[in-house]
Amino acid sequence: MLNIEHIRKEGYSILQLSGEVDASNSVDLDAAIQEMLSEGINRILVDGSKLEYISSAGLGVFMSYLEEFKEKDIQLVIFGLLEKVQQVFVILGLDKLIIIKPNREEALQAIV
Amino acid sequence: MIKLPSPNIGKVSILVAILTWLSLLFVDITRIFGLLNQLESGVAPEVSFILEITFFIMVYIFYNHSIARNERNEFLNLIWRGASTGLLALGISLLIRLFYYLLGDSRLATDPLLKNFFYHINFALTTLFLISCTLLWKRLILYQKTKKIVQQWQAFEILLLVSMFFIFFNKNTLDYSFLFGLVFITIFSISLSVNLKWIPYLTFKEKWKSILFLVIILIATSYLFVEVLSYSDSKVILVNLTDNLFLIGLFSFVFFYSLFSFLVTLFNLPTSSVFEQKLIEAINFQRLSQSIKPGQSENQVLDILIDSCMSASYADAGWLELRNEMDESGFLHKRFIENEELHRLFGLINETKPFVNFDWEKEDNENKVYQGKIPHSLYKSALMVPLVVNQRTIGRIYLVKEVKDGFNKEMVNIISTFVGQACISVENYRLLNEAIKNERYKEELKIAQRVQRSLLPDTLHHDDNFDICGFSIAADEVGGDYYETQKLGENKFVLIIGDVSGKGTSAAFNMSQMKGIFHSLVQMNPRPSDFLLMANNALSQCLEKNHFITTSYFIIDTEKKSINYSRAGHCPTLYYNHKKQESEYLSIDGMGLGIVRSNLYKKFVHEKTFSFRPGDILVLYTDGIVEAKNSKGIEFGYERLKTVLNTSSDLNVEQIQNKIIQEVYKFIGKNRIADDDYSLMVIKFK
Repeated sequence: MLNIEHIRKEGYSILQLSGEVDASNSVDLDAAIQEMLSEGINRILVDGSKLEYISSAGLGVFMSYLEEFKEKDIQLVIFGLLEKVQQVFVILGLDKLIIIKPNREEALQAIV
Repeated sequence: MIKLPSPNIGKVSILVAILTWLSLLFVDITRIFGLLNQLESGVAPEVSFILEITFFIMVYIFYNHSIARNERNEFLNLIWRGASTGLLALGISLLIRLFYYLLGDSRLATDPLLKNFFYHINFALTTLFLISCTLLWKRLILYQKTKKIVQQWQAFEILLLVSMFFIFFNKNTLDYSFLFGLVFITIFSISLSVNLKWIPYLTFKEKWKSILFLVIILIATSYLFVEVLSYSDSKVILVNLTDNLFLIGLFSFVFFYSLFSFLVTLFNLPTSSVFEQKLIEAINFQRLSQSIKPGQSENQVLDILIDSCMSASYADAGWLELRNEMDESGFLHKRFIENEELHRLFGLINETKPFVNFDWEKEDNENKVYQGKIPHSLYKSALMVPLVVNQRTIGRIYLVKEVKDGFNKEMVNIISTFVGQACISVENYRLLNEAIKNERYKEELKIAQRVQRSLLPDTLHHDDNFDICGFSIAADEVGGDYYETQKLGENKFVLIIGDVSGKGTSAAFNMSQMKGIFHSLVQMNPRPSDFLLMANNALSQCLEKNHFITTSYFIIDTEKKSINYSRAGHCPTLYYNHKKQESEYLSIDGMGLGIVRSNLYKKFVHEKTFSFRPGDILVLYTDGIVEAKNSKGIEFGYERLKTVLNTSSDLNVEQIQNKIIQEVYKFIGKNRIADDDYSLMVIKFK
């Protein structure tokens, strides 16, 4: 089960993920990010504090946008990840490409 | 005893009948000669009676046999057979009469020999006609037979048999006993004549024909009866054969049954179309309910549906509206209506109440019927029934009539039954197709599974310095895990383990690409970091943008006792240090293949080398092992894996591998199905 919530803030948006991202619902995550991009949002905070699991397919979604974010100068910061979930990002090496912060405050500082 | 083969009964009986008739004639002629020459021939009339009875029985046997043999006799054929025999007897009798009329008062006209000859011919033909008719009527009476009717008929046959011998008692006199017998037979005949169940099964046209044939039979019977009576008083006829109770009784039976049939058929004429209609409806229903055979399509069912509905309601025009996947409507199977008119009418109907209330999206469209008046110059009433397949409204059937309130309750009932049945047929057809398709997919997946199994190695390369074993299981039929070994030289071995992102078929395809890349690159004997760089370059070209592959690449040099390795985003390898008696994860940075698809990837690749000692253990695995969850959602995790290895370090590689698998299964609970691919490779140095 994955629940995605889009919270619009002044100058940025928060994408709150709760539950698990796996092969079956990774398309929903992709659609949510796609929607943000089409709205012209270029500062995205991903709230992963309620994310319990992310599969390789879920990681693939973040990965697939890296190039586009770079080209369009879009910043995406993930914050609040559980340790085991963060470990998945780290093992894959995605922490080198995506900014991962422990909490929202630090994440906000990162996007300014 | 002479055995009579059954197929000869017909021939034998007709032969005996002809011989009997000839003997009858001969006896009679002898008698006449005796009379003319005033000689006592001494032939008693009983001889004639016995021959006559033999003749009756033989003819009876012949017809019984010939009619029973012709099993597929239809009603109309049966009646025609009777009518044609009647026509023959009637025609010849008339010809004889014409012959005597032409003779006028000549001497020949009063010649007793000729008169007797013709009498015998008339007698024979009348007998043939009556017995054939009797046995034909038997077939009709015993149609849809019950035990009671069969018994009744058998009693009648016995009665007829007895009546043949009656002649010996009354000696050809019309006394009360004869009349009593006749009345008895007549009453019995009438009681049998109510068995007319075959009549409703005739079509309207067949009824007309059978009326005609029955009239012929009635005329023939009446005429021949009068003819027979005329002989009664004749002085020329020495032994009267036709005043037999049997024959007169048959006259009565044939006449009454024909009369009853005639009247009932006549009165059945106006309602025959209703019966035919019901029969057609039953047949249509059967056609609709038969599941669609291979090679046929839904279209044929819908075709039968509109025809059935049209005929059931006597509609003047009709069509089907079907919606495709994109909710676009199309018209199909138009009947008696042009395209232009149809579109006008369609618009008109759907603006009119109650048709306007229809909603495609409603869930209770099944079993709903819309009918009402329409303001159209030609068509006054319309009926519309939605077609619902699998809870989805796929279309509508429209019927229109030129009269007001043209659809009565029975029509509506039968049409909604037809529609329901057609929808079930279509649904079955679709389900069947889906099942066949799924079956094919399963077969394909099985093939894929076999192919993929063959991509994983059967034997793993090694030498005396280490033991190795591997294991892999996929969550679905096919998976994305990959491991392999390669011997690079006398003392050099390569180990690789990989995990493709995602699951199932797409992962399996990428896994086979990875295998290809490994086999191409390993021949160049690259350093681990170079391998990852080149593999990343190659995969960047062919992986979809949201896919990546994680891998660990090891080169073991058994001479130098060293391990040289790199990691590309793969789960850290577990290493048991025999000297320290504990295991730890090899820490090295490294990014998954296909994540950074440029030369920048170089920045993220690292390589390390270390020495191994005997007793050290290397455990390569994929994330399915550490991410395996139990029913509480807790992952097996790195710590548990480490503990398992620590406690089983003394075992050999197979035992260690089995221990790990066992522990994982024990942790997640036996009943749980793996939801990720698991792979494991254990190496133990000696």
